[in-house]
Amino acid sequence: MIYSDIALDAVLVAVLTDLFLLRTQLLTRGIFWLTYGLILPFQLLTNWWLTSKNIVMYSSSEIIGKRIAGAPIEDLLFGFSMILATLSLWVFITRKLNLGKQQSDRPL
Amino acid sequence: MAHYHYLLVLAFIAVCALGVSLSFRLRVPRFWQAFILTDAAIMALYLAWDFWAVAHKNWSFDSSQILGAKLLHRIPIEEIAFFIIVPLMTIITYLALTKLLSKTKFVSDHDLF
Repeated sequence: MIYSDIALDAVLVAVLTDLFLLRTQLLTRGIFWLTYGLILPFQLLTNWWLTSKNIVMYSSSEIIGKRIAGAPIEDLLFGFSMILATLSLWVFITRKLNLGKQQSDRPL
Repeated sequence: MAHYHYLLVLAFIAVCALGVSLSFRLRVPRFWQAFILTDAAIMALYLAWDFWAVAHKNWSFDSSQILGAKLLHRIPIEEIAFFIIVPLMTIITYLALTKLLSKTKFVSDHDLF
């Protein structure tokens, strides 16, 4: 069940990155959860396509065996970690590059 | 035609990304620098995981449903495209919602682009 282990680790790394490493604190923000909630059904849809047609196949010994929309439940952890990591990096980088409206419009 | 099965789902996400960014007038190209930096980090981590997982047979791809070109003989090029288009779609979704909800408690002024 190594996929289960790594998927959990990925969530942990993404959470620590958001809360402490980059301090983007998206987990505490409603906008993040709304974004995740909107993406989730699309993830289930693409998971269903990829697994029901056996485009991607998972080794049964590396997953716990529970499936949602055809795909191992571990895929939800993978997806969550990638969405959180992407947005945390995005918010951090755009702030560093001063791309926000408020930053660039702010008087000196 | 089966060779396009994986590619088809990526095309679907790409069409969604284009549709949302145009209809919300997000002017996404102005963020190319930030996107490259963000995606470089995501790709480094997740392609490494992918490579390891394929090597250890955690998952595999049906060779009749992918184009066939592979990075380092392991990762189908569709996977590389996946790790570009999915983070892009994620960011576009976030930008669109931020814009849509800019007058609500979900969004503060410094979130706006």
